[in-house]
This record gives sequence, structure tokens and C-alpha cells, in this order.
Amino acid sequence: MLKLFKHNIQPVSELSSAQTAVEVNALNLWFGDKHVLKDITMRIPKNKVTALIGQSGCGKSTLINCFNRLNDLYDGCQYKGEVIIDGKNINSKKTNVSRLRAKVGMVFQRPNPFPMSIYENVCYGLKLQGVRERRNLDDAVESALKQAALWDEVKDRLFEPAMTLSGGQQQRLVIARALSLKPEVLLLDEPTSALDPLTTLFIEELMESLKKQCTIVIVTHNMQQAARVSDYTAFFHQGKLVEYADSDTLFTMPEKKQTEDYITGRYG
Amino acid sequence: MAKLRLSGLNAVQRQSLVISLTAFFTGLLLIALISVLVLITARGGAYFWPKPIYSVALTHISPPALATDQVLPKEAASKETTPRETEQVVTLLANVFDDEAKSEIRLKYADALNPYGAQLLVERERIKRIDLAKNSAEIKLNDGRQVMAVPENVVTPEGANIPLAKLPQIMESVALISDEITKLNKQFLAPIHESLSRFDNRDVAADAPAREKLVAQFNEYQQRVRSLETQRDQYKLAVSFAEGQPFSIPIFTIQSVDFVSRLTGFEKWQVAIGEVFVFLTESPKQANTSGGVFPALFGTVLMVFIMTIIVTPFGVMAAIYLSEYAPNTALTTIIRVSVSNMAGVPSIVYGVFGLGFFVYTLGGSIDSLFFSDTLPAPTMGSPGIFWAALTMAILTLPVVIVATEEGLRRVPEGLKAGSYALGATKIETIVRTILPIASPGIMTGVILAIARAAGEVAPLMLVGAVKFAPALPIDGEFPFLHLDRQFMHLGVLIYDSAFHSQTDAKSASMMFAACLLLLVVVFVLNILAVLLRTRLRKRYLKG
Amino acid sequence: MRQVALNTHISGTFNVELENLRNSVLTMGGEVEQQMVDTLYAIKHNHAAIAEKVVLNDLKINSMEIQIDEECLRIIAKRHPTASDLRLIMTISKAITDIERMGDEIERIAKLVTRNKLPSSDTIKSSMVKIGEQVIDMMRGTFDAFARQDESAALEVYRQDNQIDSEYKRLITYTTSEMEKITEDMQDWLDVLWALRSLERIGDRCKNVCEYVVYLTRGTDVRHTSLESIHQKIEDLT
Repeated sequence: MLKLFKHNIQPVSELSSAQTAVEVNALNLWFGDKHVLKDITMRIPKNKVTALIGQSGCGKSTLINCFNRLNDLYDGCQYKGEVIIDGKNINSKKTNVSRLRAKVGMVFQRPNPFPMSIYENVCYGLKLQGVRERRNLDDAVESALKQAALWDEVKDRLFEPAMTLSGGQQQRLVIARALSLKPEVLLLDEPTSALDPLTTLFIEELMESLKKQCTIVIVTHNMQQAARVSDYTAFFHQGKLVEYADSDTLFTMPEKKQTEDYITGRYG
Repeated sequence: MAKLRLSGLNAVQRQSLVISLTAFFTGLLLIALISVLVLITARGGAYFWPKPIYSVALTHISPPALATDQVLPKEAASKETTPRETEQVVTLLANVFDDEAKSEIRLKYADALNPYGAQLLVERERIKRIDLAKNSAEIKLNDGRQVMAVPENVVTPEGANIPLAKLPQIMESVALISDEITKLNKQFLAPIHESLSRFDNRDVAADAPAREKLVAQFNEYQQRVRSLETQRDQYKLAVSFAEGQPFSIPIFTIQSVDFVSRLTGFEKWQVAIGEVFVFLTESPKQANTSGGVFPALFGTVLMVFIMTIIVTPFGVMAAIYLSEYAPNTALTTIIRVSVSNMAGVPSIVYGVFGLGFFVYTLGGSIDSLFFSDTLPAPTMGSPGIFWAALTMAILTLPVVIVATEEGLRRVPEGLKAGSYALGATKIETIVRTILPIASPGIMTGVILAIARAAGEVAPLMLVGAVKFAPALPIDGEFPFLHLDRQFMHLGVLIYDSAFHSQTDAKSASMMFAACLLLLVVVFVLNILAVLLRTRLRKRYLKG
Repeated sequence: MRQVALNTHISGTFNVELENLRNSVLTMGGEVEQQMVDTLYAIKHNHAAIAEKVVLNDLKINSMEIQIDEECLRIIAKRHPTASDLRLIMTISKAITDIERMGDEIERIAKLVTRNKLPSSDTIKSSMVKIGEQVIDMMRGTFDAFARQDESAALEVYRQDNQIDSEYKRLITYTTSEMEKITEDMQDWLDVLWALRSLERIGDRCKNVCEYVVYLTRGTDVRHTSLESIHQKIEDLT
């Protein structure tokens, strides 16, 4: 029979290990006495956009902070379980956190360029990794800015302070900064909540083009955004993974009533 | 406080009453500030402004020579004098310090008995006449003294009288002779003297031929110097005072001759700027009542500089530890509170601490360890610029710590997280991200510290600042920077001048001039720091 | 007249999705048109095999309707289309129902041919072919108007329906008069009536789609109104 539309989205249950970028196994996390993540098990597919949705405090941001061990910065944070990236459990003691964070880039809610020039901002991570040669840095800066669709706007003023850029440009700069390290996974923690709708769309379009190179995990409060950009969506509630499915299914025929209530705006 | 009911006023009126009250106090504050500025600027500025010379005729009661610094008791004067018999009119050349409000005027005058100036307080009714003395000049001497007199002519060694117009040329040729003498002294006499003392050290016999030859040479050069000196000394400027009394001044001692009463506005400015230059570049003369304040200015700036070098790293390190590393415990809180309280400790306490700990204990130990060969003469065990700077550093440390911590606290968490997320370690994040952003805060602390240290007097007097230091802490002698030397400080100089000011008008205005300079120094340092801070802030905290 | 620009969204994927959706509607329309052409050929030449194929092919059209409907649903759920995008999706969602019905009507006619039940009256046949060709013309115009989002073309097609209606009435009169004369094969003649009715219905469906096109470009609902008032409404707007 004739197929008019091609959507080759695999159901979550059929994802193989080879197609998985981040595998989370029975992950539990506590802040002090507070049990923030409860027994999370999920496979995040490679080269796809996966959205994590849920109410504030449901643990979705904490979960992506587990992917680059950023939770280590907080006092009283304890975790149990496995997060496997590139075949290695990053929660093991042997993990080189610095190298892990270079491999798993992160972009935050508010654009946070460093108070330096645009060029220096993009170089920051590379210099930390010990890249010193000017030519390598130049090339890396150019390609990162091109990937972040910012090159044409800033190529003539690379050495101006990053703070002179607009909000959307700053966020793209921050994305370029993360991309300069050629990450395998890019974590976006509400990357557009401080931006206007149009700029938001540009950033979303950027994600679409970036997923060719890396796996994207986005935390968002904006359900429409999750629907627009993501291939897969996971819904969290009070530290538990309630439903995890491809976005087409989740936003048209969610399995659980809790999910349905949340995405249709019926939440208590 | 009991409820203040302003009956009969509506809400708007009450509101405006509050506004006018608060505005009133703000206004008072502004007036106080402005008057400080105006007073210091006016009195300090007057020091540099050339004052015209008048010939003042006044009835004379007792010889003014006796009344150099004191006012005659009025009663005594009226009792002692029987009118007409002893009363005579004398004429003086004087600067007049007129105070409209008072019945007396103050004269700074010169006459044959007091050629280098004296002061006199005179009742107005005794003044017979005041004329501008157009021909008289203020003759400044190299040693800081000055003579107010009417220059007559120049006398040469040959006894010829040369008209005054030639004075500049004569001064130039005298200067040439002086140069020649200096050259002879430096190039010939000094080396010969050195060789002679070497002979002495080696116990060379007094009649050794080489030595005799040298002695002869030495005598020969000394002879030449002497004859040059006599020649130089014989150039004289003949002057006369108001009543024609003659006086002569060796020309080589003259620094400048200004006909202050004849000066046009522009020339007055020139003279004033010259005075400012002298004030800034020369050493004090006549026991800090004349000359310049260069050593004090230099000492102040150097001390502040050394202090900044010490206090900045210490303060910043401590602040970084407190805000980034220290665990959030009661001990940390106690440390924080103590640091803030340290800022309130009276400065003299720090002075005593500096003297007792740094100078005696620390300096004494250093002496016994490293400079034991020169003991009992202390090297580091006596007050000096390093100990002064260190004491001021301790005194200003809390300011720097508090301001830096404030700056560090203002660094957005997002930036830190951003840095960590790129794989930076804590120390890399602090050095590359946190410190640059906190730099305006750090600068604020350093500015406050500098302003405080530049203005302190009391502790400095205990640990190294003196009213007259024979040498600068930096010179061409190894090791160039002499941290053990005592130094002069503007604040101390002002404090010292304040004692003279009760009697001497000249040094009073010098005190104000030094005050003005201190203000300018602190302002300039502040403005520089504020500019730097604004630049840093613009760079790091925009948006 | 405003064209709904499909390819100017910031989101490139959205552009592609809308373009695909529109093309699939046109594909479906083309398919239905081909069915009509085949059916007319079958009538003309009494070719049962072709008619058979038409009947089978209708399944394909049904499946297309379902797929397009699903895609519309998916796009609404994921993209939250607004304004012209929303009108386009709604228009498509409704238009495919009408197009599918056209397919059903054609299937009905084709079924008659497969049963070889058409009376051997050449007049009827040629009349049916004639009206059928008019219908094809109209379908072509409709899909063309949709593809170009051309409301004047849509109105032109709208007008054509009148001709079909009058032709239909003429044929009905003719057929009933024939039926009065003939007594045998009454069932076949009734089928002819059904077929004629189907052709007329296809015209009406085309009219509906044209109304949607006007709604798409103008944002005005012109259903259940006369041609004159449609013109009036459009003039009011321009």
C-alpha cells in the first residue's frame, strides 16, 4: 500500500543498545533526606531530540544534571544506580569528570556567556582541555559558531564582548561554546525560557539541525515546545518516570491518564 | 518615641514636611562638604599665589625686632609709652594679611633687623599709611628663606655697580661658577680624597712620594675651588629696605627675584605655577615651613603602593577562601564577623601593634638573624617604611576582604555552573571566571584601603613616618629600595605644620597647601580606581 | 487574496511537513481524477476489467484519506498550527473527506459497469460520458484551484456546477421518459439514475472543496450561500 508520509520513529521499547546514547538504570538520587529521583530507567536514543517534561520540582533538571555529574556541586547529594554513556558507567569513582563534562555539553536556562570576547567564550572549553595553537582554536571557533548558526552574525566582531549580543545570540553563543568541544550529548535545561517566541523558534530550528551531530536532551516547561522539537518525550512526576514514548504517540495518544491530564492542562 | 501628631496638617503637608526635613539635613551635609573643599582649596591655593608687598608706615612703640613672633600686650604698650616722646613712625615692607572683621591686621614684614622676615600684629589705628611698594621684590633664597626688599644694583667682585637689568646674566654666570665648583668637587677632589683614605687604610707612610703628590694635587684643586668660591661670593645683590637701610645678598644664594607688586595677572599665574612646581619637587626647608613637600608626597605614594601590593593578594585570598571554600559552620561565621569588626578597631591600636610586633619582635628577630654584625644598631628593628606599609595593610585588610567577598557573592551562579559544565575545575573557574567578574568589587576594596592608608597619621608616626627624613626610601644606592628607612608622609607633615601654624602664617598656609595636595592625591587615586572599576564593570557586568 | 506561504516558517521541518501534506492531497486528487477518467473509458467501451480496477483502486484512496487525516492530527498535536496554517490543515482535513466521497461515487458508477448492467442506449452512454467529462473538468479545476490557492479559479469551478446541474436535470427528464416507455430492465434504468445522481454529487463535492479554498485564502465561510452572495462577501473584503 502507498505510504504518503515517512515517519521512521522507533517505539521506545524497541531501541537497541547501539542506538542508545545515554542509558539510565535504576537511578535514585537524594538531596539530603529528599528523594528526588526514584528508580529511573530509560534509554535516550542517539541523534534524536528527547524532551523531558513535568511540573517544577519533578526531577527532570536533576536528571540531566546526572548526565554530566553537575549534581556533585551540591552539598548533600547522593545517588545510586547507573548512567551509562559510551559504554561506561559515569557514576563510577574512576570517571574523569572534567572529560565527561567536555563530552556532555550543557546549556542553561539563562544565557550565561562569560564576560569575555565572543572568541574567548567559544575557546573557553578548548583551552581548559589544553588546546593552545592559535590555528586550531580559530578553526574550532569558526566551526562551532557555524554549527550554532551564529557565524554570519558575529564573524566581523569576534573580539567584542559577548555581552553586547542579544539574548538569542547569547544563547546560541553558549550553544556554540558547548559545541566547540564536539560533545556526544547536548543537555539543554530550559534553553528558551528567557527568550522571546521568535528567537525560541530559531533555537528550536537549531536543535533540529544539531541532532545530526549529537544527541539532544531538552528539559522544558513548555509542552508545545516539547511537542515541536522532540522525537521522544518523557513525562516525570514527583521524581518518577511516568511515561516515555515517541512524541507523536505521547502527544496524540498518551497511555497513562496522568500524562494525558498534564499535557491537556487538566492537572490538579 | 511618642506618636508625633502634627495636628492641622493634612497628609500632603505632612509628606512635604518630611521631605523638607530630610532635604534640610542633606543640604547641611552638602554645605559642610563644600566648605571643607572651599576652605582647603582657598587657603592651600593662597600659599602659591604671589602676595603683593606694601610699604607700611606705622607708629612704632617698641623695637619691632623684639616683637618678632609675638604681639605686644596692648596694655603694656599703652602704659609704657608716653605719647610723642618715644612714639615714632617706622616704615616696613610687608605682606598684609587683612582681616576686615578684626581691629588688627597681620603683617609679615622685613627690615634691617629682620631681613628674613618676621611677623607682627598691629592695631588698625597705628597704621598711618599703606602703599603698594612697586619697586620691592620678593627674593627667594636657596635655603628656603626669603627677603622682601628693594633691589638696588648688582655688585661685582671688582666692586663695580651694575644696573639691575643685568641681574639675569649675572645670575647665569654665577650659576656657571657654581657648576664649575661642583664639577671640581665631584671629578677631582672626591676621587683624590678617596685614594687618600685608601692610603690611610693601607697605612701608607705620610711622606710616601705617591701620597705627597696626591696631597699636592688635592691642595691645588682645593685652592682653585676656594678662589672660585671667593669669586662667587663676591657677586652680591645690593638691596635696601623701606627706610633705605642697605643690605646685600650673595647672588649664588638667590633662587629667584620676583617683583610681586608689579606682576600682571598672567605673570602672577606664572609665578604661582612655579611655586607649585617647587612645592611638588623640592624638599622642605626651614623646618618644614618653606620649600616643597616632595619627600612626603613620594613617601606617601610609595607607602601606599607597598601596602597595596601586600594587602591585595592577602585580602583576595582570604575572601576567596571565605566565600568559596570555607564550610558553612559557626566558625566561619565567627571569622566573618571578626573580620568586619576589625575594620572598626581604632587605628592607633594598629600602630601600637605594628611597633610592638613588627618593629620590635619581628624586626628584632630579623636583625639578630641576618644583620647581627651591625648590632646593636638596628636595621629592620627600627620603624621603617616596610613596617609602616605592613601595619597599614593589616589595618586595611578587613576593608579589602569585605569588599571582595561582596564582589564574589555577586557572581551569578549560572556563570559558575557554565564554567563547570565545560569541564573546568573549581580553581580554573575561580581564576578564569569568578575573579574577573569580582574585580570591580576587589577594586572597590582596594580604593577604600588606599584612601584610608593615605590619610592615616597616628599609627604611621609609631612605625616609621617622621617629620624629616634625610633620604628618600628609593635612591641609586644598592638595593635601591630601602625598606628599612624612615620616610616622610603628607599626613604627618600636616600634623607637624599644625604646631607651627599657631605662630607662623607662612607655615600655616603650607599646612593648607599640603592638605590640598593630600586631598588631590586621594582624589586622583580614587578617580583612577573608579575609572578602572567602571571599565572593569562595563566589561564584566553588562546586561 | 493572500496565499498561504507554506515554506516560510522558521522551522524547516514544519515547512516540509506542510508541503508534503498539500502534495499528498493533490496526489489523492489526481488519483480520484484518474479513477473518473478510467470509469468514463469503461462506460464508453463497456470495459469491465478497467471498471474492476477502478473499484479495487478505491481502497487506495480510502487509505490515503486515513493517512492524511492522521498526519493532520499529528501536525495539530505537534505543531499547534495557527491562522493560515490552521485553516490549511482544517481545509485539508475536510477536503479529503469530500475527495474520498468523490472516490466512492466513482466506485459506485464503476460497479455498474462491472456488472455490465448499463442499458445499451447510446444516448444515455454518450450523455453520461458528456456529463462525466464536464465533471472531470470541474475536478481538475478544483484541484488546480486548491494547488494554486486561487479563489477566482475556485469561483469559476463553482459556476460550472450549474451547467452540470442543468445537464443532470435534462438527463433525468430524458431517463424518466425512457423509463415510462420501457418496462423490462427497470432495475438497470434505476441504476442509470443512480449513476447520474453520483455524477451530480461529484460536482457538488467539487463545489464544497472550492468553498474550502475560498475559506483558506479569505478566511470567510462561504458555505450554504448563493454564488451572488459569495461574490458579495468577497467584494466586501476587498
